Amino acid sequence: MLNLRASRRRFAAVGNGVSSPPSGARAVSALTLPSAGSVLDVEALQRLAELDPTGANRLLERVFQAFEASALRLLPQMHEAFRAANHPGVRHVVHTLKSSSASIGAVQLSHLCAEIESMIRLETYDGLADRIGRMDRETNAVLQALKQIRGVEK
Amino acid sequence: VNASAAPNVDFLPEQPKVLLVDDDEVNLLLTSVALRERGFTITEATSGETAIRILADWLPDVVVLDALMPGLDGFQTCRELRVLPGFESLPVLMLTGLDDDASITRACEAGATDFFVKSTQWSLLAGRLRYLLRASRTRVELERSKSRLARAQDLARMGSFDWKRGGGGPVFSAEGLRVFGLGPSDPLDFRSLLRMLPDEQRGAFVELLHDAMANSTILATDLSAKLIDGRQRIVHIEAEPEFNEHGTLVGYTGIVQDVTDRRMAEDRIRHLANFDTLTGLPNRRQLIWRAERALEQGRRLNHQVALLLIDLDRFKVINDTLGHGAGDELLMEVSRRLRSCVRHSDQVLESSLESMGSRSHRSLEAVGRLGGDEFVALLPEVVDERDAERVASRILDLMREPIIVMGQECFVTASVGIALFPRDGTNVVDLLRNSDVAMYSVKSAGRNAASLYHPMLAGQGREKIELESALHKAIERHELVLHYQPKVDVRAARMVGVEALMRWRRNGVLVPPGDFIPLAEETGLITPLSEWAIREAARQARVWQDNFGFSESIAVNLPSRLFERTDLVEYIHNAVTTYGVPHHAIELEITETGLMKDLQNVIPSLHRLNEIGVEISIDDFGTGYSSLAYLTTLPISELKIDRGFIRDLGMTPQSSAVVTAIIALARSLGLRVVAEGVENLRQMEVLHRLGCGIMQGFLFSRPQPAEDIEKWLQQTELPKVAPWIGDAGDAELPEARRPTRARAPRAPSGG
Repeated sequence: MLNLRASRRRFAAVGNGVSSPPSGARAVSALTLPSAGSVLDVEALQRLAELDPTGANRLLERVFQAFEASALRLLPQMHEAFRAANHPGVRHVVHTLKSSSASIGAVQLSHLCAEIESMIRLETYDGLADRIGRMDRETNAVLQALKQIRGVEK
Repeated sequence: VNASAAPNVDFLPEQPKVLLVDDDEVNLLLTSVALRERGFTITEATSGETAIRILADWLPDVVVLDALMPGLDGFQTCRELRVLPGFESLPVLMLTGLDDDASITRACEAGATDFFVKSTQWSLLAGRLRYLLRASRTRVELERSKSRLARAQDLARMGSFDWKRGGGGPVFSAEGLRVFGLGPSDPLDFRSLLRMLPDEQRGAFVELLHDAMANSTILATDLSAKLIDGRQRIVHIEAEPEFNEHGTLVGYTGIVQDVTDRRMAEDRIRHLANFDTLTGLPNRRQLIWRAERALEQGRRLNHQVALLLIDLDRFKVINDTLGHGAGDELLMEVSRRLRSCVRHSDQVLESSLESMGSRSHRSLEAVGRLGGDEFVALLPEVVDERDAERVASRILDLMREPIIVMGQECFVTASVGIALFPRDGTNVVDLLRNSDVAMYSVKSAGRNAASLYHPMLAGQGREKIELESALHKAIERHELVLHYQPKVDVRAARMVGVEALMRWRRNGVLVPPGDFIPLAEETGLITPLSEWAIREAARQARVWQDNFGFSESIAVNLPSRLFERTDLVEYIHNAVTTYGVPHHAIELEITETGLMKDLQNVIPSLHRLNEIGVEISIDDFGTGYSSLAYLTTLPISELKIDRGFIRDLGMTPQSSAVVTAIIALARSLGLRVVAEGVENLRQMEVLHRLGCGIMQGFLFSRPQPAEDIEKWLQQTELPKVAPWIGDAGDAELPEARRPTRARAPRAPSGG
């Protein structure tokens, strides 16, 4: 079971050697995540956790699952659309991932999505392939981080 | 914002139902959790198609749509749900990206109620949803109240309009257009509105509008409009000025209302209140109003006004004999005739006359019905009394023509009393009273004439009116009494009967019969009075029978008109039966004049009365002009010699000659003869000598109350102590002493 208390512990566990108290409110804010920089934003996660203060709804688990399922479904769609130069198809994927990644605190990913969405809207396709590659990598990093969090729990 | 803690959202559903549509599962999940947390009930849909399917049979309080979705996107979904029945005004919130201006615009175009930039600040979303729900609720209320207003206006045949200065003509609501018989999209400009008005109203209305605008006042007026479909309606317009922030008039806003029905009802009420329903003539109220206006004008313009009071002479007889239906028919014909005698105006007049010009009082002229068979002709301007007399004589002339009522010719005459302003009164009350006095003087002088009021008439008239009104109530107030005067057989020194004489004890004072019997005869009150007398006499006969074995008759005076009544015999029969006395306990006296006046009508009654044993006595005999031939065949029992002859007895030889003749006549016809008004012994002796043995008069006894008659018997007759006893009957004293009572006489009460 994944609840807030448990989550905090897990964030601490995957912490990159950063010392942090094992529990308490400040533990989360002090937490940093694996991967370069911050793949997942602590504050965003904290707001998520506040939606289910007792953990009774297993909210974080369900959100992570939903994101994983959504990302795994959408990424191939995006690659295919990109290959077919179907820009609206690409745009739809990045638009969806933009907000869902923001929801789980994947700030970097969300920014990348927004960037791509904006490029397509403005029809400036220079460097789009590069951005898509970065986005692909960042998504995988986020999925990796989520897997880590969930893996700890198992 | 926390739903449970916000007092200003009390009226919202406790848990507003939200349909949340988002293809992004993460966002869908988070949003729904966040909103549930804040008191919403969430139904999720991951695509526009799903949403439309759900909405096919379910109505949420609010829909939240993600703008960008594969398949049906938010905009299309919104468009589709807007055309579903019942979803026209459902609040729809479109979720867009922060930098997505195009979506915001499109959301609006697609019919979204509002947009919201996606964010993880859920409280803002919840607050926005609550605001939307409140706004929607307010809007629903507004719609409802608008439709209620429209319905109410429709029922009241009312609509509204606005007019902006410089903005063309007035703009009417659909209901306002309906008032003018127009459809919701028909144009109605000022010009076509004016065209509906009659020519003479058009100018006045335009003037009224200019005045209202010039003075920035409220506009309120009634227009009679001929609608395009030809209907004639009365439309009430009422509008208030509107001002801008500088206080300048910028236009008017108001209502129009079809008040035709109300106006017609008002007219009808006004007519009912002012006109007599039977004859259609102005009634008392309207007449008095007109008379008051006529006096005002007369005062102002210094001319005379005449009031003619017209009373039909034989109306009561017609009403009584032919019935009320005939009476009504007659009154209607009389009204038609009277109307033709003046320049009658039927207009309902209630407003000021000032606006109608100086000759306007001419329109007051009318004949009206005061009530019953009383009419008034109002002549608002007469030069002198001859003017009024001319109208009166025209009225009398027209009445002379027979009136056909129920196939029968009736002859109706009228008595007219005339009073002039200012000579005979300066107000309507005085004029009416004085014309009444004049009318009464005509009645007493023989009817069928007109008379001007004269102050000499006044005293008499007023007293009489009061007397009449009091006499009406005399019976029910038990103010009437009978006094009795013995008829005495002088030789036998005994009472052989009594005559009942009516007295009216009014306010403790006895009114002499001469003061009220003629009035009672004139007004017809004599009938109930006489009936009462018969019953009272029967009752008294019974009391005396029980007290001292009274077995003679009580004579009651009846006017001849009572003998004409077919139920007189029955009435007497009922009266004597009620008190258990024989029929002959009542004797009826009719004056010779009365008898001869209505001889043919009276004879049948006399026969029937005679058959049941009620004896008839002819009163005041010798004063009328009796047909002696008739006298021999009439079923009468007694002649009473008029007191006039008795008074002169022993003083003039003529009187004793008449008395002698009457006695001889009576004797030969086998009639009893009674001398009335015997006041002294000399008269008694003469009568006795001439052969009249039965007498009545002060010499024996005044008329006195019933109890006093008993005392009188005890003190006078039984002890045989009185100046008259012994004088006339000396020779046959033993016979006079003969006991006459079946019952043992009472002991004399000393003296």
